[in-house]
Amino acid sequence: MRVAVTVAVALLLAQAASAEDVEKRAQADPNGEVVISNVAGEVQVTGWDRNEVHVSADLSDDEQRLEFKTSGARTTIEVVLPHGGHSYQGSTDLVVQVPRNSSLTMTTVSADQTIKGVRGMQRLQAVSGTIDTELWNDDIELKNVSGEVNVRGHSGKGTLRATSVSGGLRLEDIGSEMDLNTVTGDMTVRVSELSRARIRTTNGNVELRASKVTDDLRIDAEGINGDLRFRFPRTLDAEFDISTFNGEIDNCFGPKPHKTSEYGPGNALRFKEGNGDGRVRIKALNGTVEICNR
Amino acid sequence: MNEFRKGGRDPLDEALASLPEDVSPQRDLWPQIRAEIEKTPIVAPVRESPVQSTWFRLAAAVLLVLATSFVTYYVTRQSMQPQIVQNTPATELPAPQVNPQPASFSLGPERLGAGYMKTRAELDKRFKERLSTLPPADRTKVERNLADIRHAADQISKTLAQHPSDPLLQDLLMSTYQSELQLLTNVSELPTAGSMRTDL
Repeated sequence: MRVAVTVAVALLLAQAASAEDVEKRAQADPNGEVVISNVAGEVQVTGWDRNEVHVSADLSDDEQRLEFKTSGARTTIEVVLPHGGHSYQGSTDLVVQVPRNSSLTMTTVSADQTIKGVRGMQRLQAVSGTIDTELWNDDIELKNVSGEVNVRGHSGKGTLRATSVSGGLRLEDIGSEMDLNTVTGDMTVRVSELSRARIRTTNGNVELRASKVTDDLRIDAEGINGDLRFRFPRTLDAEFDISTFNGEIDNCFGPKPHKTSEYGPGNALRFKEGNGDGRVRIKALNGTVEICNR
Repeated sequence: MNEFRKGGRDPLDEALASLPEDVSPQRDLWPQIRAEIEKTPIVAPVRESPVQSTWFRLAAAVLLVLATSFVTYYVTRQSMQPQIVQNTPATELPAPQVNPQPASFSLGPERLGAGYMKTRAELDKRFKERLSTLPPADRTKVERNLADIRHAADQISKTLAQHPSDPLLQDLLMSTYQSELQLLTNVSELPTAGSMRTDL
């Protein structure tokens, strides 16, 4: 027993000795670009009101190296692995502060991304990790494989383009324009105003709530397997064109769907609400489509 | 109502006959006309500027491409319809010349042409290369997702064979093929541990 405890303590001490904290900082353009890549661990990026980039890295061992360089308006933060990195088991946590209006490009593998208060354009790509970010007035494009995506907006003007393979999308108060794709995963979207939405899902449910819609509303949604639910404001001007091959259509606006075939399970519904200025087109293979105004 | 004199001649004919047969000009007008012509400078037709010409040609080329694409699309779509209909005999009409479809019949991606299949095969190759570098758990998830998409496409194409004129199924099938390509592309372009810098 005593030997086991001694060995454990020795291992802990050895690990602590090999782990390394690295801190770097540099002046940066207030509207510059910050590029971050990390293979495993966690990355937290926060926007601040200083014109400098600061990074604090917790390298799991001395086999890794943090590369930090600035070139013009571009700052690069990269965790460099030892040779044969694809089989490398170590991980690195990065805590980064960037000028608030920086644009951000981040790629990670097996690492969670958390971004707060960064108001520039963002391009985020992750494999096997959660992406948490905020949408302001600039666009965000994100792609995630095997992980959840959470975006909290500030009702800004930024457009969100999100693609998720095996992972859900949870989007709140994002801007009025979005292009969303999931292969397997549910989408939950809440917006204060909706103008343009293109939605595609293969396996997953979609729930979209809009408190307000613009007069020129355009929604184009398609689902293969899953229910598509839309909640609109009480009054809106739009023309609806909904069809399902094998699923019900529930409509709170009034008009009832009709069967597309005497013997088949398909339904279709076309109607105009108000002036019919907007266009809502929803197509589903297997699943219920629900549109409601309450 | 015509009135004739007793002589039987039309008064209009008489008036015409009274007109002189030849009218001589009061003076020779030709020298003045020539002088006026010589005063007017001869202007060559204005040549279109090269920029305007280029834009016009570009616009014409774009229009031509669009028109050709539209016609190709229309003709292809039209030519596919009879094939599909032919493959699924209508119940009302006897169609002895059409054989029952084999169980494997479907509107598979090969219907989209050799170019599409080639691109898809190339993407699939890159996809597999990238996939092999992903962590095993993620690899399994991605493979399962791709299988889901392909299964969905297969199901839709089989259903479409039974309902060949269903525009909803046609749209969803195309959309599913797009999703497949998008997945292959996205995974091919993913950063992986192997693709990150390992120069230590």
